[in-house]
Amino acid sequence: MFFKLTPTTGQPLYLQLMQQIRHAVETGALRDGEQLPGIRTLAEELVVSPNTVAKAYSELEHEGLLEMRHGSGAFVCVKRRTRSLADQVQIARRRLRDIIERLREDGLLDEEIRRAFEAELLYPAEMVRKR
Amino acid sequence: MLWYKAWLETRSRFLISLATLTLFSAIFVEHAQGLLRPEWKSDFNRLLFVNQQFLVIMWILSVVLLGMGGIVREKATGISSLTLALPVSRQRLVGVRVGVGVLEATILGVVPWIAVFFVSFFARKPISITQVASYVLLLLGGGIIYFALAVLVSSLVSGEYSAPAVAFGIVLLAAMLFDAWLRQLNVWRLVTGDLSINRSTYLLSEHLPWLGILCSMSAASLMVVASIIVVQRRQF
Amino acid sequence: MTDEAVILTQALAKTYRNAEAVRALNLSVGRNRITAFLGRNGAGKSTTIKMLLGMLRPTSGSGTVIGWEITNAKENCELRRRVAYVAEDKPLYGYMTVEQTIRFASSFYPDWRKDMEKKLLKDYELPPERKVKTLSKGMRTKLALLLAFARRPNLLILDEPSEGLDPVGIEHLLQTLVAQSAEGVSIFFSSHQIDEVERIADQVCILEKGCLLVDASLDNLRQFYRRIDLVFPSAPSEREFRIAGVERIQAVSNRLSVFASKNAEAVIERAHDLNAVSVEVAPVGLRDIFLETVKER
Repeated sequence: MFFKLTPTTGQPLYLQLMQQIRHAVETGALRDGEQLPGIRTLAEELVVSPNTVAKAYSELEHEGLLEMRHGSGAFVCVKRRTRSLADQVQIARRRLRDIIERLREDGLLDEEIRRAFEAELLYPAEMVRKR
Repeated sequence: MLWYKAWLETRSRFLISLATLTLFSAIFVEHAQGLLRPEWKSDFNRLLFVNQQFLVIMWILSVVLLGMGGIVREKATGISSLTLALPVSRQRLVGVRVGVGVLEATILGVVPWIAVFFVSFFARKPISITQVASYVLLLLGGGIIYFALAVLVSSLVSGEYSAPAVAFGIVLLAAMLFDAWLRQLNVWRLVTGDLSINRSTYLLSEHLPWLGILCSMSAASLMVVASIIVVQRRQF
Repeated sequence: MTDEAVILTQALAKTYRNAEAVRALNLSVGRNRITAFLGRNGAGKSTTIKMLLGMLRPTSGSGTVIGWEITNAKENCELRRRVAYVAEDKPLYGYMTVEQTIRFASSFYPDWRKDMEKKLLKDYELPPERKVKTLSKGMRTKLALLLAFARRPNLLILDEPSEGLDPVGIEHLLQTLVAQSAEGVSIFFSSHQIDEVERIADQVCILEKGCLLVDASLDNLRQFYRRIDLVFPSAPSEREFRIAGVERIQAVSNRLSVFASKNAEAVIERAHDLNAVSVEVAPVGLRDIFLETVKER
């Protein structure tokens, strides 16, 4: 499993892991029915707290992406909702690609674009509507 | 395995002392006959008495050294955290150390005299077992107080070298004080047999100073109890 | 994960003649978690740990470790049977050989695991016949760690475990800690290596001058601590930004740098209300959180 967790990016590690697992499912790196490494195994491999892995698996199970089978481990379980979500993500990424290209043409550096995104993302949904 | 640890810690001191005391006694008794004057009555018995004098000095030296160590000394050398983290009471830590020390002190008192017994047996000047036993009893019963003193000092004084210095200092001081003012209570005279020796036959009397021995052993016990209390209350 | 506290103290304090080493400490370390104990030298970390293990008597207050009272000598003895501790100076008996040390230590703990002992002996490449006083510092550190890791205690307390280890050794240490945690061992360790802490800790406690300043999960710290750099057309009023969650404000002419432990959105909103020319938000790493927190005092 090629996951890379960065402790310094301001995002809880379990969220990063969840994103990366979701990404792996979206791009097909993880297929429906495939088994993920056990909590202990993955924790030792990534050298992170087992609680991080456990929380990520637990949240993903809650979302329906993973199925925890008692005694055997965590299995990928791609539901129809997740599949359409994967399509939505593909569309969103194409839109983002256009925006980023335009910003680059305007003369912004990638670092500036990233920080602008960060700042904007901090606005929760309601606040944006208010503005 | 606390006994094993205490043994490892005292092993060298003990074996060197044992070798020294035993060899000294055997050689002394074997060869020192030449030093005796023919006009001295009961020459061989006197030899044994002189042997006890030397033995006492060496034995006290050895047991004071054996009494060194313990958890307070470990703090000075930086390893007390390991011992204190063990699931054993401080009482047991002191108790085991004292137990091992008493066993070693006993062997140090018994073995040299056994060597003397056999040396004189083979030199065709056998000595009575009672005499040997008496000397041993006086040494151990009266002398154990020195070991207890060493244990108490080592639980109060924390330096690696200051503890033995203080211990020997007290032994010397006590010897001088008792010799000057309290001759009757001088444990040194008890231990060396000075109180019980018959100056004409140079045999130890049948009536050993039991009271003196009892007092000495009681004082030794009190010192050990005090050591335990000191260690229990100490903060590391 | 259960919320039972494996270490719990109530107003634990230790005062020496001239200083308060630990003040009214209310520590709560959760079970089945990896908790890091950060603090400057002399902040009181080792003093706290020694009080927990019965080596020092608290001046006031009380505490329990895995349910046993720390101030009761008998109970403290019992808890030490189920707790593995490695002191900062990695103490070992120089006169024992590696093998004797292991045999000695293992005789006290029913939770000793021979399989783990053999594995670690091989991993650490420790020569069984060598006397401890002839070992290098790195090997002594590894042996001291082995005595704790070859067990399955309820709680593992480590004081600066990675000191004396090379990077390979540190990586192996972290993996071992993670493996122990996965087996249900609660871990409480103090460290100056903030990078290590950031990777494996679930919870962080920051101690400064005997007081607990921060006690939070690393997830929360990551999610909420932010540094917000603002540029205004003219010198702004600092007072406008003293909102809940703001820990520090640094002002240089028309620039403000705000360090917030939460509520970054409110700061940004206020900045926009005051017509900020530039708003930049960045996450704060644990090192900066630590430095800012202890600077405050």
